[in-house]
Amino acid sequence: MRRRVVITGMGAITPLGHSVAELYDAQIHGRSGVDWISHFDASTFPTRFAAEVKNFSLSKFLPNAERYRDAGPNTLFALVAAKEALADAAIPTNLPRERFGIYLGNGDGASDFFNLVAAIAKASLPDRTVADVPTFTEAALRTFDPGHEYELEIHTTAGQLAQEFNLPGPNFTCQTACAASSQSVGEALQLIRQNDADIMLAGGSHSMIHPFGVTGFNRLTALSTRNDSPCKASRPFDLNRDGFVLGEGAGMVVLEELEHARKRGANIYAELTGYGSTADAFRVTDSHDEGRGAIACMREALRDSGLDPAAMGYINAHGTSTKVNDQVETLAIKNVFGEHAYRIPVSSSKSMMGHLISAAGATELIIIVMAMRKGVLPPTINYDTPDPECDLDYIPNTAREKWVDHVLSNSFGFGGQNASLIASRFKD
Amino acid sequence: MSLPSRRAVITGSAALTPIGNDPAAIWQALVDGRSGVATIQSFDASQLPCRFAGEVRNFVAKQHFSNKDPKEKEAGKGLRKMARAIQLGLVTSKLTMANAQLERGQLDATRFGVEMGAAMMAIELPDLVAAAKISSNGQPGQVSLADWGAKGIDTIEPTWMLKYLPNMPACHITILHDAQGPSNTHTGGDISGLQALGEAFRIIQRSQADFLLAGAADSKLEPIVQARHNLFFPFTRRREEPERSVRPFDRDRDGNVLAEGSALFAVEELEHAQKRGAAIQAEVVGFGAAVDVQRNGSGLARAMRAALREAGISPADVDHVNAHGLATRETDLWEARGLREVFGPNDPPVFAGKGFVGHCSAAAGAVELYFSLLALQKAALPGSINCDHPDPECRVHVHTGVPRALRTPYVLKLSFTDLGQCAAIVLRRWE
Repeated sequence: MRRRVVITGMGAITPLGHSVAELYDAQIHGRSGVDWISHFDASTFPTRFAAEVKNFSLSKFLPNAERYRDAGPNTLFALVAAKEALADAAIPTNLPRERFGIYLGNGDGASDFFNLVAAIAKASLPDRTVADVPTFTEAALRTFDPGHEYELEIHTTAGQLAQEFNLPGPNFTCQTACAASSQSVGEALQLIRQNDADIMLAGGSHSMIHPFGVTGFNRLTALSTRNDSPCKASRPFDLNRDGFVLGEGAGMVVLEELEHARKRGANIYAELTGYGSTADAFRVTDSHDEGRGAIACMREALRDSGLDPAAMGYINAHGTSTKVNDQVETLAIKNVFGEHAYRIPVSSSKSMMGHLISAAGATELIIIVMAMRKGVLPPTINYDTPDPECDLDYIPNTAREKWVDHVLSNSFGFGGQNASLIASRFKD
Repeated sequence: MSLPSRRAVITGSAALTPIGNDPAAIWQALVDGRSGVATIQSFDASQLPCRFAGEVRNFVAKQHFSNKDPKEKEAGKGLRKMARAIQLGLVTSKLTMANAQLERGQLDATRFGVEMGAAMMAIELPDLVAAAKISSNGQPGQVSLADWGAKGIDTIEPTWMLKYLPNMPACHITILHDAQGPSNTHTGGDISGLQALGEAFRIIQRSQADFLLAGAADSKLEPIVQARHNLFFPFTRRREEPERSVRPFDRDRDGNVLAEGSALFAVEELEHAQKRGAAIQAEVVGFGAAVDVQRNGSGLARAMRAALREAGISPADVDHVNAHGLATRETDLWEARGLREVFGPNDPPVFAGKGFVGHCSAAAGAVELYFSLLALQKAALPGSINCDHPDPECRVHVHTGVPRALRTPYVLKLSFTDLGQCAAIVLRRWE
């Protein structure tokens, strides 16, 4: 008999607030968190808006915030979401810790744009294509901040979390672009099932709202450039969608082996019943045009959960608001669920909070668990003009009351790495 | 284990390392005690405090891709858009498939997964020269975002970002070999390679795939990454004799050098391997992971004990420990305490690969494990180098000198990060 795994705590810091409660409230009221970029002067960038975490200061959440003065947003957001999730799970102080680990989907840190670009400029030779390495090295060594450079290393976030919250079990960090935190939750589920741990803090944290991040996505023409109406820019499945909107933040869940949770009388939010991971194996720049990897991924999650496709009550789509993703994802959902696809409400949380990249999957898992508990499914906002190629029920613009027992969340990463999660109402 | 366990064997392997790019060359260097650490050749390192590194030599990625095969041709064309770590990983994947005697299309694509370890990749300077000149006068920190946004951005290659994403080694590998099964990229720092292999082992056990390419690739041979690491990495202060500069567990050790490399393993379900008549190189029999939050060795011991327990063996059954051996004062003491806790006074000999290659970072665990995989196949453990005066405070026995015959079929490999995140793997020689 396979070990069962339940969700016993959740935490989130997102463009829609500093807690799970604020996130879900904004989601069911259709509030957008998108606005002009304030983290840096983006006034001449092709895209000038994003969904930023507002009014953030670590000292609001941690008494020892000074310890993290060198930390970048990935670590800061992760600390806050982890703290909420652990408090929510009401972990007793005397709980044995050795089988309590972390699996984090985490992005690259934000490079020191100003000192790096200035050092390259200083070293640039007149012909403009080469830099003099010794000049660069000398400038970099003089201007880069050691604390900041260290904190850019991707493993530091999960390491700091283990220290801060005393979680000495298995400690993993993964980076599968936009799929990272669905993957981290899915693999944490497997670690518990396979008896490597009894309880795991799993999720993701990421900010790419920095000059290199916006530059990179703008060059890929992946971002919306609807600079005249930022709040309208993220419009998944709408005919006039033109790209995704960057978001930032962190989402964390506490996953726990069922008997472990029962023994300590933990509050059980839901059971995590299915996980799929596949690769498109197609192109690094585009998803497979018939959704091959996405189809296999949802099917794998269904198989893992043992559910009939007709049992699925709601799908939280990857739904990025790019032309290709939303069309291919629609195709894939129809392929997997057949005629039933038209009866499943599908919506995209990204219409309100943007795309949290490595933090997207875990944050969206939290939303679907809340939706299942409260019986209210969040809408897709900015859905004005139907796209004939996207013909499912996207819960347009207004939340819907519906009691569902099984919910699915999709995450598809740049490069073709896919992850799907299924959560189910907990039943003995 | 609560699941009926399927067994996972290694049926192919390959590595690109500072001591060689094929098994024969690598084994010869190990037996000869020849270090690959040298003065940096790939760029002008004159302003770096430490000019030593472990570089992969004679690596021309393009040579590995035939123009006759359309998929290889496409991969060859794409090399320009791949940072060196991605190129190393992709080429190693090709060598590993060849070593496993597998042609493309021979495996069920949906049961073929990829688990890679990787790290943040350094931007190559030329990529940003034009944009930097447009928007900065070169004075510290002075960059005009207005100019960058208006004119600089347009000078940057459209797929610039994809050249450096840590998940790209895995993505390119899935594409080249049509691997559509489970796919992940581990970015846990120095333990990434072992975690990739450990997770591949778990995926085979739970029957989510029958075959995976698992390993890691990393390169720290770019000016940006070298400069950055000089601000926090524990570099050796030695300025002469690069080949003697990295000295794990030696009394006179004082740090490490950065390196590059990649190693991949074909991890296959035992019956699947036997059915196709694969040559089995070793079996993966145990995996454990933990965090040594107190930095006293107890967490390292927990990871190692978990791996030994799963392997169903006692510490006395281990032929040798393939150590992390970072060669800094503090970490070798830390590691020795962990080993002592598990093995007691009758500890098996220790092998420390970093003396040969330096620190391959995210690829370190995989590259070093590759050395022990060769040792299992040759039934001999090469001597570690530069441990001329074993530190009496590190209560471990580093095997040095001529290769010693294997006594038992098991090796335990340990890796850990500066923050105490650790992973351990046990391999069994296939007999």
